[in-house]
Amino acid sequence: MTDQTVSGFAVRTDLAYDLDNHMWVDVRESGHARIGMDALGLETSGTLAQLAFSTDDEFVRGEPFGTLEAEKFVGPLIAPLSGRTVAVNGAVSADPGLVERDPYGAGWFVEIEPTNLDEELPFLIRDEADILERFERKVRQYRIEGVLAE
Amino acid sequence: MTMASQRKLLPLVDDHNKRQSPDWVRISMASALALRYQSGRFNREFDFGGINLLLNYASGCRSDCSYCGLARTRPGDYEDKSFIRVEWPLVETDDLVDRMAKYEDGLTRLCISMVTHGRAYRDTFEITRRIRSKVATALSILVAPPTLNRERLETFKELGVDMIGIGIDAVTEDLFRRHRTDVPSGGGLSWEKYWEIVNDSRDIFGPWKVNCHTLVGLGETDHDMISLFIELCDRQIFPYLFCFNPEPDSRMGAEPKAPISRWRRIQLAKHLIETEGLRWEHFSFDDEGSLTKVKDVEPFGGVVERAVESGIPFMTDGCPGPDGEPGCTRPYGSYRPSEAMRDYPFLPNENDRTVIRDEMALHEIYPGMATS
Repeated sequence: MTDQTVSGFAVRTDLAYDLDNHMWVDVRESGHARIGMDALGLETSGTLAQLAFSTDDEFVRGEPFGTLEAEKFVGPLIAPLSGRTVAVNGAVSADPGLVERDPYGAGWFVEIEPTNLDEELPFLIRDEADILERFERKVRQYRIEGVLAE
Repeated sequence: MTMASQRKLLPLVDDHNKRQSPDWVRISMASALALRYQSGRFNREFDFGGINLLLNYASGCRSDCSYCGLARTRPGDYEDKSFIRVEWPLVETDDLVDRMAKYEDGLTRLCISMVTHGRAYRDTFEITRRIRSKVATALSILVAPPTLNRERLETFKELGVDMIGIGIDAVTEDLFRRHRTDVPSGGGLSWEKYWEIVNDSRDIFGPWKVNCHTLVGLGETDHDMISLFIELCDRQIFPYLFCFNPEPDSRMGAEPKAPISRWRRIQLAKHLIETEGLRWEHFSFDDEGSLTKVKDVEPFGGVVERAVESGIPFMTDGCPGPDGEPGCTRPYGSYRPSEAMRDYPFLPNENDRTVIRDEMALHEIYPGMATS
């Protein structure tokens, strides 16, 4: 089963994650990688107000490719992989709530053609047990920091 | 569990009429984060403990101020309306008080904002009583003058309220009439009544225990603002500065905010009047009432420079916390997280002060001031 829950947060274990930046990556049959934000990252940002994506065609792993603005927070969206833009999901720019309603489906952000997949993919978390354990650890950390509702 | 279900953390009931004060209140989004009603974080890390409550009625506020998100003639149901542009979650009062008690170590100031409504005094009394039964953190009330008189203010003091705020907002009688008295829905507010409550509050609560909210951006001049600052400070009443931030669909929804340079200069002028004793002889104005020059009180300057360098003039005005520092800081209350911070809910750091100096262009009105 790939749809799981960790401390109340939805997790899909068939995706790869950059959990430091709460980004998920879905490498598709076409070789393209779809990128979005995980449920825990969304929750700790607060209710989304706006999403904006860079107009640059090139993505560099570790560099911002857009910004997320919530009611009391604004922060960069950090690229988990390098690549060239194939598609941007205009639906989430028009309705950021879509990301909150379906973070791993219709709420995806961008699709890229990776340019350095073999070297960069190992930096992402892909093992199911590892994903679940690290999510759990993140939830504990956020509870200590007081950024999760009780 | 999906994100949608994660977010439904606020208690909800079906009967609309039951979700009213005194059993229900709205709280600011920042308060909801601090009391763990909602997940989320602030754009920058700082301690936050100023909890703001707002009375809630199905029939809403009976006033119709041109700039306010709660105005009667602003489209939409009252419960869906924003106030100072952000959502105010609705919570049960008793649960709120329990959470205040649970997190009291981190709280710095509590404030109940009344609205103009026939039940507002009675319900504010009851909410104050419930808070005071479990929570000792200093409590202010931002009052609705049409609902009050001297006796009721005395009752607030007896209940343990230590500071009173009055939202004058429009700083001259003419502006007050234009924005708050001569309004489409009727029920306009009275300049005289507001000042009656200011005067009674000052008598009852004492020096520096009363504050008047003033809003920059309603058509006033710098001269108007400074005139009121001096009058209030001479009477040991705090002027609190707020920046007009257009509420979508309100009658002033299409009006711009005050330019940042003007806003910064007014913040500085208020600080100099309030804490350094500057008065009329230290300020010059042009024919339009715009501030053109600030003169230092010391022969070789220094007071103005030190004030800017301290960063203090640019912090949020709010009732004090236990150590005298601003206890009510309303982060991102008049600007979005992606916009320039109009007031800082913490002491601005060196980088912030560099930005402030650039924004203020103070050299234009204070030749002794170095630019960044």
